[in-house]
Amino acid sequence: MGSITNSTGSFFNRSLSQMSDLRGQIERTRTQIATGSKFERGSQDPAAAAQLRSVARREAFSRVEGDNAARVGQDLGAAADELESVTALLQRARELTLQAASTPTGPDGRRAIAIELEQLGQELFSRANATSLTGEPLFAGQSSGPAFIRDALGNVTYAGTPQSGAIPIAQGTAIERGLPGNEVFQFDVNGSPSSAFAVLGALTTALQGGAADPVAAANAAIEGIDAALDTANRATTIIGTRMAWTEQVQQQQGERNIALAERRSRLGDTDIADAVARLQQTLTALEASQSAFARVSSLTLFDALR
Amino acid sequence: MPSAIFTIGRSGLTASRRSLELTAQNIANAENVNYSRRTLTQGELVMTGSIGTIAQDSLGGVRPGAIERAESMLVQRQARDASSALSAAEAEFFALREAESAIETSGVFTGLVDFEASLTRLQNNPLEPALRLSAVESARKLAGNFRIANATLVNARNLVQAEASAEALTVNERAQELAEINADLVGAREGTAGRAALLDARDKALRGLAEEFGISPTINADGTADVMLSGTPPVALVTGAVASSVSVTFAADGTAAFAVGGATFTPTGGAMAGRASALAEMAGLQTGLDALAVSAITLSNSAQANGVDANGAPGGPLFSGTGAGTINVVLASADGLATAPAGAAAGSRDTANLAALIAALAAPTGPTSGADALLLGLSSKVSALETRAQGLSVVAASAEAELLRETGVDLDTEAANLVRLQQAFEANSRVIQVASTLFDTILGLR
Repeated sequence: MGSITNSTGSFFNRSLSQMSDLRGQIERTRTQIATGSKFERGSQDPAAAAQLRSVARREAFSRVEGDNAARVGQDLGAAADELESVTALLQRARELTLQAASTPTGPDGRRAIAIELEQLGQELFSRANATSLTGEPLFAGQSSGPAFIRDALGNVTYAGTPQSGAIPIAQGTAIERGLPGNEVFQFDVNGSPSSAFAVLGALTTALQGGAADPVAAANAAIEGIDAALDTANRATTIIGTRMAWTEQVQQQQGERNIALAERRSRLGDTDIADAVARLQQTLTALEASQSAFARVSSLTLFDALR
Repeated sequence: MPSAIFTIGRSGLTASRRSLELTAQNIANAENVNYSRRTLTQGELVMTGSIGTIAQDSLGGVRPGAIERAESMLVQRQARDASSALSAAEAEFFALREAESAIETSGVFTGLVDFEASLTRLQNNPLEPALRLSAVESARKLAGNFRIANATLVNARNLVQAEASAEALTVNERAQELAEINADLVGAREGTAGRAALLDARDKALRGLAEEFGISPTINADGTADVMLSGTPPVALVTGAVASSVSVTFAADGTAAFAVGGATFTPTGGAMAGRASALAEMAGLQTGLDALAVSAITLSNSAQANGVDANGAPGGPLFSGTGAGTINVVLASADGLATAPAGAAAGSRDTANLAALIAALAAPTGPTSGADALLLGLSSKVSALETRAQGLSVVAASAEAELLRETGVDLDTEAANLVRLQQAFEANSRVIQVASTLFDTILGLR
């Protein structure tokens, strides 16, 4: 008998596989809703998984760069504070020098001025060796030791490096964490190298009686103090510009982080509304398929035969 | 005269009873996937005697013929080939999915990114002990992730190998079984229930073999099946009552080699071919993973050698090891990280050397890009295999449905047969009753 029949086994196999397909879909959608992510394995969407990896990498860097930027901002802020004090200090020194250069100020007055100038010199030295919140010198470049050293004769020399290192604070952007001390406190006067310490020190010595003509010495020192002020002002400008730059970069970072998060969410997060609708649809299909199966499978001739 | 009616009625009773038995047998085996439904052929029995030109017919009723088994060589073959192809795709898919989870969830990529990130953070203040320590610890985590990835990949490979070895034993058992069935089939009489059962067993053995290897069987006139395994070159597994033995061996890199009766061959279908191809893929993955580990080791150690540590001394190696399984951190203390370039003083905050290492790690040739490419390649491959397996499962299911339609039991048909045969049985008993009445009538003549 070569007739073709509708095999009972085939009907059950077909119905079972269709229902288990539906059940699998429901399970997958449920997992998506529960975990909040569209896929658990990269092979479910290789291209999106690769993009997610690059987003995750970018986010990891963004976090670190954000920390770095905050840190650079703090260091630059500390340096700016110190520079402000240094400028005020040099202005006071200039006033005192002008007083000393005026003839009516007598020797006693000059001695008093010399004492104050000495104090200012001390303060200048300690400000030049100021440290950041975490204890690193602000003006020593890449060195971790003190920026300026005073020898037994009272001469102050720069002990740091001529460059301060740059810190990456955004993709492709690195900002130097400060200014080396030689650019803040050292300068040329009439073509010969000098420093704020040397100018103040020399003037103090002259006013304490070290010079035959203290008025002339004071007049001569004004040029050096002006140069020191100029240098300090220039440094303030540079630091201020960098602070503004850092702030701008931080702002951009915030915006970029939001963009990254959006991108990650679009690539990998479950669209809950969509998933719930699909779940409902599949559930309905499964229920319908189950009840159809139950009804069709009871339709055998054996039931009709009594 | 009435005795002929008796004989006819009795033959009809016998035929319907035997048909009923077969129907009952069909119904009992409705859920047996290896059962092919049976039917009973019947022939009219007429005896003709002739003397000279006078011929006389004597009706003898019906003769129950042979038990016929529904079969269709073509559909059987389609179902076998489809299941071979599906098994190959599924075996490869399941094996590689395991490998994918091994490499993806072990976090090699995340470890590399964290290592890069902690080095970038260290640039902010290269002498801060906490940052240095965190950089070294992230290197340790990276090494750990590499070792986990390696171990899980090895584990996945071992599972596939163990499965291949176990299934080779099953194949040998089935081949032996088929050889015995062949021997029995030669002696089995045509049209008997015993022969039909042997043919069922033969088809079951062939289907079992087809799941593991692509086969091209030859069905001989006496019903015996000779089996060639498809591959390069094709080899004979079962010839008549003789079965060869399949063996599988594994090379050092984990790839599988197959031999039948000592002759090596490469299978082209079935789960074994899928496993062989998955093992070859895994060997490639192992090479890729080892290359990533070596790249991380080499870049870090050469950067260390190019720079000086916090105390101004030349940097020692950060990692030891020759691959993903052996990578480990050997730097004794976090002070030993060579952040500053060679020639820098002790306590230098110069990060040129550190920046060079970060750039090398992040370069398109560096391990991070390598890990990304490895994962992308693997997940694309797994995704393609999944699609293929899904497609083939539809093909296999429809071939299976076709086969069941040709050979399976339809309960409705059997129910109708039951009614029909019951009626036939009752009608035949009626014939005997009538014959008996006739006989009684004759005996009652006075």
